[in-house]
Amino acid sequence: MRLRVNGTDHEVEVEDDMPLLWVLRDELGITGPKYGCGIAQCGACTVHVDGVAVRSCQLAAADVDGEVTTIEGLGTPQALHAVQQAWVDHQVAQCGYCQSGQIMQAASFLDLNPEPTDEQIDAAMSGNLCRCGTYPRIRAAVKTAAAKLQGV
Amino acid sequence: MRLVIAALLLAAPLAAQETTESREAGLAAWDRIFEKVSHPRCTNCHVGESGQPMWNGLGYGADTVHGMGVLADETRIGALSTPCRTCHVTTGRANTVPHAPPHISDAWRLPPVELAWLGRSSAEICAQMRDPETNDGNDIAELAEHLRSSPFVAWGYAPGAGRSAPDGTPEDIAADVEIWGAAGAPCD
Repeated sequence: MRLRVNGTDHEVEVEDDMPLLWVLRDELGITGPKYGCGIAQCGACTVHVDGVAVRSCQLAAADVDGEVTTIEGLGTPQALHAVQQAWVDHQVAQCGYCQSGQIMQAASFLDLNPEPTDEQIDAAMSGNLCRCGTYPRIRAAVKTAAAKLQGV
Repeated sequence: MRLVIAALLLAAPLAAQETTESREAGLAAWDRIFEKVSHPRCTNCHVGESGQPMWNGLGYGADTVHGMGVLADETRIGALSTPCRTCHVTTGRANTVPHAPPHISDAWRLPPVELAWLGRSSAEICAQMRDPETNDGNDIAELAEHLRSSPFVAWGYAPGAGRSAPDGTPEDIAADVEIWGAAGAPCD
């Protein structure tokens, strides 16, 4: 089947029900999305499908109906996405395992809701777990990214 | 004059229209309907204004609100925080994995606010369901058709992965709605 990931078309031979996460990691070598729980309880595998955050452990390869973006395709080292830059500025990551999922979730969220309330930020990020407990820095970085995206 | 007659016809409550089932049969059908719509498989999403789905009747642990702080908000799809479809993907594949978010071949979402069932009494839901103003604009035939064709209803009766479900089938409740409607949609 054919998948478009980070602007590149890929032809992959996989079972229809293989989770997108495993197609990305094992077939395409795109290892930014992480495996955490396999049942959408942690958010580590979050990618975008047509710009909307999706838990890639839940989406079967044959059910992908749009362009996939992973952390590798969100920005570039020369031109980071506003959320990535905010993550650097706030030094959000500790161990880092959950961070690609966190950033992809935040980027999708701010695209859908450019002027979020604090309650909405907490709601949007509550499905992405961080065992290091970086939540205060995650919240601060999302606020910074929101302000930057609004040009404030 | 014709306008007056039309207005009178529109204003006529269902109960005043022609009935082909007895009141007793209608009330019995409503009791069966209420038994289904008050099941957690239905009320977990028919939550009304809170926009917070429930995790009641899971078969383990205490009843609680849906995890991950989800808020369906006024969009009913969580567009202002985490969209339902971030986890509840759209696919017709069988639901086989316990504790994973269920999926159907339709966009996961909450019902309209006015279709709140959680915590409501039989009389309250009955009054709500027979009035198109509060039942998402459906007449009895449309309610029955919805029950027969909605992927949400089909999933509710066969949620998979060990989840509890109301007894019966979508066809059973659709037939009961037709009996209830044919009796004039009695509530008490």
